[in-house]
This record gives sequence, structure tokens and C-alpha cells, in this order.
Amino acid sequence: MATEYKLRMGDGKRLFMTKEQIVADLKEGMADAADLGDIPDLSEDEIDKLVEIITMPSRMVGVEQGMEVPVTHDIGTIRIDGDQGNSGVGIPASRLVGAMMHERAFGADTMELGHIDYSYKPAKPVIAQEMQTMEVCQQNMIVPLLYGAMPNMGLYYTPDGPFENPGDLMKAFKIDEARESMEHSAKHLTRDIVWIMQRMMASGSDGVNFDTIGAAGDGDMYASLHAIESLRKQFPDIYIEAGMAGELLLGMHGELEYDGTVLAGLWPHQQAALVAKAGANVFGPVVNTNTSKSSAWNLGRAVTFIKQAVKDSTIPCHVNMGMGVGGIPMLETPTVDAVSRASKAMVEIAGVDGI
Amino acid sequence: MSNEEMFKQLSDAIVSCKKDAVLAAVEKARDEGIPPAEIIEKGLAAGMNEVGVLFERGKLFLPHVMMAAGAMEAGVALLEEDMPKDAASKKLGIIVNGTVEGDVHDIGKSIVSTMLQSAGFEVHDIGRDVPLQDFIDKVKETNADMVGLSALMTTTLQGQKDVIEMLKEQGMRDGVKVMVGGAPATEAWANKIGADCYAENASEAVTKAKELLL
Repeated sequence: MATEYKLRMGDGKRLFMTKEQIVADLKEGMADAADLGDIPDLSEDEIDKLVEIITMPSRMVGVEQGMEVPVTHDIGTIRIDGDQGNSGVGIPASRLVGAMMHERAFGADTMELGHIDYSYKPAKPVIAQEMQTMEVCQQNMIVPLLYGAMPNMGLYYTPDGPFENPGDLMKAFKIDEARESMEHSAKHLTRDIVWIMQRMMASGSDGVNFDTIGAAGDGDMYASLHAIESLRKQFPDIYIEAGMAGELLLGMHGELEYDGTVLAGLWPHQQAALVAKAGANVFGPVVNTNTSKSSAWNLGRAVTFIKQAVKDSTIPCHVNMGMGVGGIPMLETPTVDAVSRASKAMVEIAGVDGI
Repeated sequence: MSNEEMFKQLSDAIVSCKKDAVLAAVEKARDEGIPPAEIIEKGLAAGMNEVGVLFERGKLFLPHVMMAAGAMEAGVALLEEDMPKDAASKKLGIIVNGTVEGDVHDIGKSIVSTMLQSAGFEVHDIGRDVPLQDFIDKVKETNADMVGLSALMTTTLQGQKDVIEMLKEQGMRDGVKVMVGGAPATEAWANKIGADCYAENASEAVTKAKELLL
């Protein structure tokens, strides 16, 4: 009987596969990425290396010495005390304590201050509190501390915002009106992000993290790129991290452009150039996990996409690794066997600059 | 022009998402004596299937899907007078779709509704953060064949299970298929709570709805 190795499905379920089955799934996932993104396959050596990582007997694996990369945390300040279905662990602690724990105990190389609502728009009415907290954190910390939130353009649509919901308009075949609504929302979103960051920079922030750009489609990306551009002009030394929401930029509008490029339908390696052009320092590409496929399939696919993003990007790539992204299963607290293997593969094969 | 070439022209017109091109192609096909049912099935519907494939591959997007669906609707309307009564307006099935109570995520669910509608289903999108009883009431009111339950948070997934239990309690479960979706939902979760299917994305939602209802 052939030796079987322990893997996981994309939903986290335990799975046993032979080496031949692992190779077949790796190649199938790789081929899917290569086909969708019109990008090259991995080499046979890289496939072999992936097999080696997946089949390592240790429960947890790490990168080879000398290949360590920086790790950046989003929402980390509230990961300690958060207990509302947001992957927090529910330990009473202030945001300052959360940030300092990440800096001094968990080895985070940069940190982020985020509000519990974690979108830019709801930070507006509590801006004074955010500024005060940023100042206190900066007085107590050494690692770069960014302010971060999700652009989340959906909050500008009814019932949360002033503009008619494009989803409703679209279903009524009011396509032009839906597009107008997105364009108006994008302008407001850009304005709000810039307004918030002007104040956070005045409070000592080292920079900004755009978390989950494109969650509301191409309009979300459009607004974020313009906000990045504006912030770069206003604060030449600001550190800007631009992380994506998903692998494919959904065309909710379909015709929005940045720098002459249509945003809808861009894959990670194509997103990288625009993020750099807008003025970001770091690009955070995402590849989504398919819960119905094995971790071998997902990892083969994710590494293929991210390797090309790293190759095409003119700025460092800090790949998103966590629940349901980067070849990691969709579990609220992803298992260490899957997280460490996927992370090792991203560093050693895709060549990411950070996580 | 052969019938096959005509079907290709109809299909291409749908993929172009241009109503004028679709209407012109339908007129031409009708003039060539092709039966309306074939114009729809082998030309227009084939084109919509191609639109679905291009959507899945990130080559066409929601507005394009809607424009193509609008163009198809106009094309079908043009053929209505040649068709038996009610044949043109026949829907594939009735689906109630919404995001469960406590969960305000809207966009993914709306894309699913739009794709199902474009594929020919009668869709009643009852919104987001929907009280669970509203799903039951709407299914009764519309005599729906399927209910779609979206949840984007691990804390609201339970709502999908609760709706299934409520359907059972009211003796409605056998007559209604249940589809679940949303980021934390999985095939295993769907099996565990007794849903009829799980859809990974909007295109898969259409495919599975067709499998279950047609």
C-alpha cells in the first residue's frame, strides 16, 4: 500500500493522499491559475519543492535559515480582545496592550491600529479617539505602527450610505444609474480615507494599511488607488501598504480605469503595477482558497499566482496569509500545519518579500 | 446561412451585450424560418451560457451580464407573438434569496441573485440581515422552489441551519430546495445542516440551481 500523507481540504477537513495524488492536485491547481491569469506554470523543480514541503513529517514547518521575511499584522490590536466573530480571542485588553503584545511577544515587524468596526467610514465620527490612541501607542512602541481599515465602499450605498444600492439598481436593469452610484461613492470614499489619514498622520502614524481593497469591486479599487495617490503627494514619506480583498478584481462597474487600465478583471500580477503606480510601498496580493479542493490543489494554484505577482511587482509583495487565503483552509483559526506549510511555500517558491 | 451559423450569430450577439445586435439577429433568424423555440434555446440561451462562462473567467462582469440578459429579454419579446401563449414568459423556477439575520453582507448575495435572474429564474431577493421567519413567509407567498441562504460570518452561519429547521417544522422542507453560500460556508457545512447544495460562487449557484430544479 502506498504511503499516505496528511493534508487538508480547503474547508479544513483532514485528508490523506498519496504522493502521486498530491502531485496531480498540485499540477491541477497550478494549471487553473496559469489558465485564468495567462501566466506560466511552475517548473518541475518547484513542484518537487512543493511536494517536499507538503509531505514533511513535522506538524509545523518553517523557512530555511536566512530566508526569514517580515510579518505585518492587520487588525492585530483588536485580535486579542475581539470576541464578536472576528477571530479575536476575547481576552480583555486595550488596543495599546494588543499592539504591544504583537510587537514584544509575537514578533510582528510592523503593526496596525484599527477600530473595531474596521472600515474607514465608521472611523470618521470617532476620529478624536483614534488620534488619541495612535498617539499613545506611538509613545509606547518601536515598530512602525500604521493606521488601517477596509475601504469597504459598500457602506456608501443604501441603507448604510447616501447613494442608491447598485445591486438593487442592477437587478432593475438600471445599469447607468448603478454605475453613477458607484462613481459617486468612490469619490466620497477617497475623500474620507484621505481626511482620516491626514488626522492620523498628524497624530504620529507611520503610515496606512488599506485592508481588503476591491471588496466592493472595481469602484472600491478605483477609490483606493486615488486615495493612495493623494496621500503620497501630501505625505511623501508615508508608508502605504495596499492589501487586496480577493484574487480577481470584480467588475461591479466594469469600465472604471486607472492610468489607462480597466480595473475590472485584473489578477494579482496585473494589480501590482497599478498599486505601485499610485504610490504604495507594499502590495498585498490575495489568492482565494477553494473549500472543495485539497490543500495541495489550493497551494499549487496560490503559489503560481503569487510567484507571478512577485515577479511583475516593482514594490515588495507581502502576501495575505490566513483564513481562506494563500492556500490556507477556511477555518476561523487556521491550523498550524496548513499555515506554516503554505507560508514556507510562499517564501521559498513564490519569493514573497513578507507576509 | 445555415441554421448553425445563424445560432452562432445569435449567440455572438448576446455575448456582445448589445440589444440592437440581438434584435437584428433575431429578426434575421425569424426571416429564415427558424422556429422561435430554437432561436431561443440554440441561439440566445447558448449565448447566455457563454456569458456565464466569461463571467466566471473574469472576462465579463455584472453590468455586462445584465445588459446581455436585457438584450435576451428583448429578443424573446420579439418572438412572443410567434410562440404558444405563456411559453415565452415561462421561468425556470422561483427562488427566494437573502442574507440571514445578523449579517449585513450584501454584495455577493446580490451577484448570485442577478446571475440567477439572468439565467431565467424568477428571483425574489429579500435583502440582507433578514429575520429568519421572513424567508419562510416569502417562500410561502411566492410558492418558491428554492431558498438561497447567504452568510458571510461564522457567527451567522447558524441562521442557515435554523431556516432549514423552520422549514421542517412547518412541513415545507420537502417542497423547497435549500442552497447555502457565503465565505465561511462549505460543502461539509451544507451536508451537516441538511442543505440540498452549497455553491462556491455565483456561476456555481446557477449551475446547481439548474441541476436541482430542472
